Amino acid sequence: MKISLDWLKQLVEYKLTPQKLAEELSLMSIGVKNQTEDYLELDLTYNRGDLLSLRGVAREIVVITGCKLAFSSSSLSDYPSLPKTPIEIEGLELSPIQCVAKIEGLKVSPSDKEWVKKLADCGMRSVNNLVDVTNLIMLEFGQPLHAFDQDSVKDEAIIVRVAKNKEEIITLDGKIRKLNSEDIVLADTQKPLDVAGVMGGKDTEVKESTTTILLSASMFNPVMVRKTSKRLGLASEASKRFQHGLTKTNLLQAFAAAIKMYESLGGKLTAINLVGDLEDTPKSINLTKKKVVELLGLEISSDFIISSLQKLQFKVTSKGGDEWEVIPPYFRLDIALEEDLIEDVARIYGYDKIDGQPLKEVTAQKLDQSFYEFIYNLKLGLKNAGLTEVQTYSFYSTAVLNALDTDKQKLVKVANPISAETEYLRMNLWPNLVEVTGRNLRNGFSDVAIFEIGKSYQTDQEGNPQEEYRLAIALCNDSDNPLEELISMPKSLGLDFILKDAPLLGISGELFHPKRFIGGLAEVHLRVLNKFGIERRVAILEISLPLKP
Amino acid sequence: MEEKISQIQKDYLPKIASATTLKELDKIFLALFGKSGAITLLPGQFSKLSDEERHRVGPLFNQIKQVLEDAISLKREAVRETIYKSLENEKFTLQPPRLQAKRKGHLHLATQFKKEIVDLFRKLGFQQFDAPHIELDKYNFEDLNIPKDHPSRDMWDTLYIDTSNLKVEPGQLLLRTHTSNFWPRLMEKGKIPIKAMSFDRCFRYEAVDARHSHTFNQFEIAVVGKNITMANLKYLSDYLLKAILGKEAKSRFRPKYYPFVEPGVGIDSLCVFCHGKGCKICSGTGWFEIAGAGMIHPNVYTATGLDPKKYTGLAWGFGPDRILMLKHGIEDIRYFLEGDLDFLQKY
Repeated sequence: MKISLDWLKQLVEYKLTPQKLAEELSLMSIGVKNQTEDYLELDLTYNRGDLLSLRGVAREIVVITGCKLAFSSSSLSDYPSLPKTPIEIEGLELSPIQCVAKIEGLKVSPSDKEWVKKLADCGMRSVNNLVDVTNLIMLEFGQPLHAFDQDSVKDEAIIVRVAKNKEEIITLDGKIRKLNSEDIVLADTQKPLDVAGVMGGKDTEVKESTTTILLSASMFNPVMVRKTSKRLGLASEASKRFQHGLTKTNLLQAFAAAIKMYESLGGKLTAINLVGDLEDTPKSINLTKKKVVELLGLEISSDFIISSLQKLQFKVTSKGGDEWEVIPPYFRLDIALEEDLIEDVARIYGYDKIDGQPLKEVTAQKLDQSFYEFIYNLKLGLKNAGLTEVQTYSFYSTAVLNALDTDKQKLVKVANPISAETEYLRMNLWPNLVEVTGRNLRNGFSDVAIFEIGKSYQTDQEGNPQEEYRLAIALCNDSDNPLEELISMPKSLGLDFILKDAPLLGISGELFHPKRFIGGLAEVHLRVLNKFGIERRVAILEISLPLKP
Repeated sequence: MEEKISQIQKDYLPKIASATTLKELDKIFLALFGKSGAITLLPGQFSKLSDEERHRVGPLFNQIKQVLEDAISLKREAVRETIYKSLENEKFTLQPPRLQAKRKGHLHLATQFKKEIVDLFRKLGFQQFDAPHIELDKYNFEDLNIPKDHPSRDMWDTLYIDTSNLKVEPGQLLLRTHTSNFWPRLMEKGKIPIKAMSFDRCFRYEAVDARHSHTFNQFEIAVVGKNITMANLKYLSDYLLKAILGKEAKSRFRPKYYPFVEPGVGIDSLCVFCHGKGCKICSGTGWFEIAGAGMIHPNVYTATGLDPKKYTGLAWGFGPDRILMLKHGIEDIRYFLEGDLDFLQKY
């Protein structure tokens, strides 16, 4: 997320250079991807929904630098009793809160320069003054809003409900979207107006002729929003915020601030309605100094623990001894456990003040290491025998699939491959080694002696995927019968049992020389080699490794 | 001109028909389609023709060109089939026994690095424990405090196994996205204390380019026991960084969110390439990001049947491929898995 620095300065009186600010933020609060004179680009964190807003970032800067906040909370109480706009919520599990304000007397025009720059620095495009208010508020507060053209909304009603199966809506991007009963919509008495939390509808967007809007502020079931957004392939700035967590307190502040902005554009609030549960439920968490010290390995004073949490706007009440009841501020939805509090104390204390301490002598439960040692020693033996270790992808490339002409039913299949090159997992290692051999022959090598130890993936009789370690060797030497040389290798490595016992693993005779095969060794059929562009002979070995972890 | 073209066909078709080896066919191919081949040179003479002639000659030329190409490739197939058949006459001989040629062998760079790191941590009592590549959603995500439909799932672009023929719900089997699946698999055995490590392959839904790959290595350690602290995490970070990057290296923690740890930190190393002064590798900051780590999240204990009040634990993971690239100035991650011997035999 991009944060406009000019704008940030209006919210918090910090005196740092952008570079210094970026450094402080990334060491104590949130990662900074990029910084310029105009903006900071912050990492997206998946827990701190509050940091998806300039106000949230401003609050962190106050804690980090000790400077002052330059904004105060707005509230709705200033408004006299006005008529209520009709709102209906089908179930609070869909949407715990829904606010609508009717604002008249507006006129669509381009936004002034300051708004345009604020939006641009935050990576958004100015649309027009009425729409820009909603985006500016979203950026500042983290609360998405939507302005409907009042004339297009039948009966001025905002109804929150699940979509009907196969219900359709044309979204702002002009596309027809098919909805189903897992989607939430805002609707009027006739039609859906907005795919809740995802994107508004084209029919009801603010138009050149719009003079009255219905401004809506909502919270929705985040899981449903996420599913809808994924299904429709629509990830917007708004849907991100709806999923990452919103609060009612902040919603009401954002709503009030937006109404003020519309009033500054000459609008007049003529009706308003707030429905649902309007208050956030505070959490209470127990914190002990003992746990702080235990987890961090660091002696931090009680005073510091209390003061750092207070700086972060936590309410701390002593329970006697070094134990406290801590109530997080409404905007910290990420705080649920004692450990979450300890993280906040630690980062304010400064991670750089943690001195390393060796692990105390504890004897861990024994885990059998013999397989890992066996693998390494085997690799070393193969290397000493003059082979080069290769590691290849866990997939069959299209070239391999084509050369093997294999029954794909037997392969483990990827449901969502990136491309045809990652659609099937390798059942054997040797085909990948033959592919590598071909590549190296083309690069001018005349002698290729390579091995790989890695996993192969099969399906069992029920089709369930299985995996096991395999060793494969490929040899292309100066002879027309490389098997003669390859056969000497297992003997020298103490693997000569495979000359007799190990059958070729799950592979049909078509793939190998009709005469030259024994146990787990074979000359690859010329037909297969030719498909890899290899005109010479290649012998391979593949065995399942006897020991498993 | 038309005669010339027909003559080429008359000359070469019988030659192709009577060829018996791939070598002969290669020769014929060159004589026709090589740099100064009969077919290659012919169009050079078309400029002298009238428009009308050219309209006649063009299609004829193309047709005969195609006929000759097809004849050669068909014959090639036929010769190949004969060769394939003659394989039946070849023998499985081991006499005289052939000795192994003398070659200089090489271990893959990742194997060498793995050995180095594993030995380093073995000295501290860590033991290897590898978990499956094809993994259940439970071990890769849910036990690690990454619930279904949680936005944090977007942190991992995942390759799923096709389960359409299985009695498994879609989305339940996947290619593990990190080595972290080894902790729940080990923790649920309940044998505490744990001091384990894994250096193994992971997968992501990611297009391959010079810096990204869908298949990559991770190295990860996990410790679970009593009184395991962040100070221990700091010690282990410095221990590893100094060993693999040199004595000058040291770690720096930054707050970072990973669902399976709390506190969670991103670990930077002092940039050993510019001694912290700032260079291209560290984007001028003097530090570069190297690992993710933290104290194991209480929900992970609960999910694996352990009491989060009784134990604490730490985990630390990083991508060895990237470090190898930095250390050896390797510009393209694809070198690791594409088997180029020029590359592999340098190390």
